[in-house]
Amino acid sequence: MTNQSQSSLYQLVVTHYLLAACSFLAMAVMLWIASEDLNGHYFHPKLLAITHTAALGWATLIIFGACYQLLPVILETTLYSIKLSWLSLGLFFIGLIFLVFSFWIFEPGIIMQIASVFLLVGIVFFVLNMVLTAKQVKNQNIYQEFMVTASIWLLVTAILGLLMVFNFRYPFLPKDHLQFLKMHAHMGIGGWFLLLIMGASAKLIPMFLVSTKQPVKYLNVAYYLINISLLLFLIDTYYAGINFKTYFIALIAACGITAWLAYVLECVFSRMRKTVDLPIWHTLLSFILLVVALIVLPFIIYHQLKENPLAIRNSNLYGTLLLMGWITALILGQTFKTLPYIAWVKHYEHLTGKGNIPLPANLYNNGLLKVQLVVFSLFCLIFYVGLMVKSTLLVKIGLICFLSTALLYVANVLVVVLHKPKRISHETV
Amino acid sequence: MKQFDITEKDDFLKMEIMETLRLVIDPELEINIMDLGLVYAVYVKENQIEIEMTLSSSHCPMGSSIVGGVQNCLEQHYPDYKTTVNLVWEPAWSHKNISEEGKRLLGI
Repeated sequence: MTNQSQSSLYQLVVTHYLLAACSFLAMAVMLWIASEDLNGHYFHPKLLAITHTAALGWATLIIFGACYQLLPVILETTLYSIKLSWLSLGLFFIGLIFLVFSFWIFEPGIIMQIASVFLLVGIVFFVLNMVLTAKQVKNQNIYQEFMVTASIWLLVTAILGLLMVFNFRYPFLPKDHLQFLKMHAHMGIGGWFLLLIMGASAKLIPMFLVSTKQPVKYLNVAYYLINISLLLFLIDTYYAGINFKTYFIALIAACGITAWLAYVLECVFSRMRKTVDLPIWHTLLSFILLVVALIVLPFIIYHQLKENPLAIRNSNLYGTLLLMGWITALILGQTFKTLPYIAWVKHYEHLTGKGNIPLPANLYNNGLLKVQLVVFSLFCLIFYVGLMVKSTLLVKIGLICFLSTALLYVANVLVVVLHKPKRISHETV
Repeated sequence: MKQFDITEKDDFLKMEIMETLRLVIDPELEINIMDLGLVYAVYVKENQIEIEMTLSSSHCPMGSSIVGGVQNCLEQHYPDYKTTVNLVWEPAWSHKNISEEGKRLLGI
């Protein structure tokens, strides 16, 4: 790669990370403002605005940025088009701002409709870029399958989202809006986030830990079970809503996730690198939060079948465990595996072997990351207990921890992005 | 353990090159490439140095940094020699390649 294209790739990736960090901070502030609504129904304007800020602004933007940097490396090829990526980002982010704004004030008119079109076109450009990049590679592997399938699920999620936006003003969907909301949410969580995280972590975790065992057969099982359960969920929910069969569909998904966790555990137990660094601790915490969210799932189905209002509270717990717990913990850690590497490649890769240069892990502030892990763990303990026992005080204290986590995260991202390259020292040469 | 012939002039240079390559660090694992067992062979012919090495994974994101590091390191220390780095995938790298010192650094 030429210096010029490396520099434009760096700008593209860092812009994604910075916008995602801003979205995280915005989400933490919005949660604080809407903290009392967390005990109400999830189909609430402010909660819809926060969910989309979390899912699209925070999680998806980071994933887009990391994909642009890492996919060409993993697939040993070049990114199909940087211009297409910028176009995708521009449309996506403008669409996101207006979508969130129109959800917050709940004005499902022309602004929300145009915003959802912008978002969809931005996503189409991203998927196109990914597929055309992956197409340049001859040898297909399971990691690629996970990533490409996840991108397709993202596209389908966005298409359904757009239809739902238009359905507000011009009702045409044949079923209840909430039924489509469940399908939209699970396509996004299970199809986009889960599959992408499974594929990327299956490749990166053994690499970071130097694992001697990587049982790929578990990944194949996970891939098929998750996709089958999603398809069954969509068909069954469309025709019958949540019903007794939903337990079995959730069980299939749980088996898929268990197969993937078995793969991750095998990698962890067979690791050569015994010291576990802070980003990996965040990652392990995220997996625990995913398991807790899965435990909540049968309770939602149970209460839904009994038409008990507890189904709503459990759904809020489930949603926040996934977005603010699992996905957030994962990003809080993996940002400091990927972003320092990206900055390091720009500043120091050409100097490797010439003398004493900092390593990627030296580009972020380890102290800040340690405090971030502690504060985020406190958030998990206090906030989720508060949500379960319906304590506004505990929820608010938890959200203070969440806001503090966001501030610590943004500060550390700036430490990496604003890093001034050090002059090369020849002391060891 | 590498075998050296003390009557062979180039073998001293090979040993020196191997020691020099300890300056090249895997940026993620923070261990030098010799202790990681990534270097399979060093050849010296007239004014040419040829390194036969591998990576821990063919898709290693740090791959280009490590290979570039070897190139930079040798060009800086042996400016009179032309350096070539050949990446090989057979035999595949395994954790058995890691030296005792490398294992100690990994905390094993």
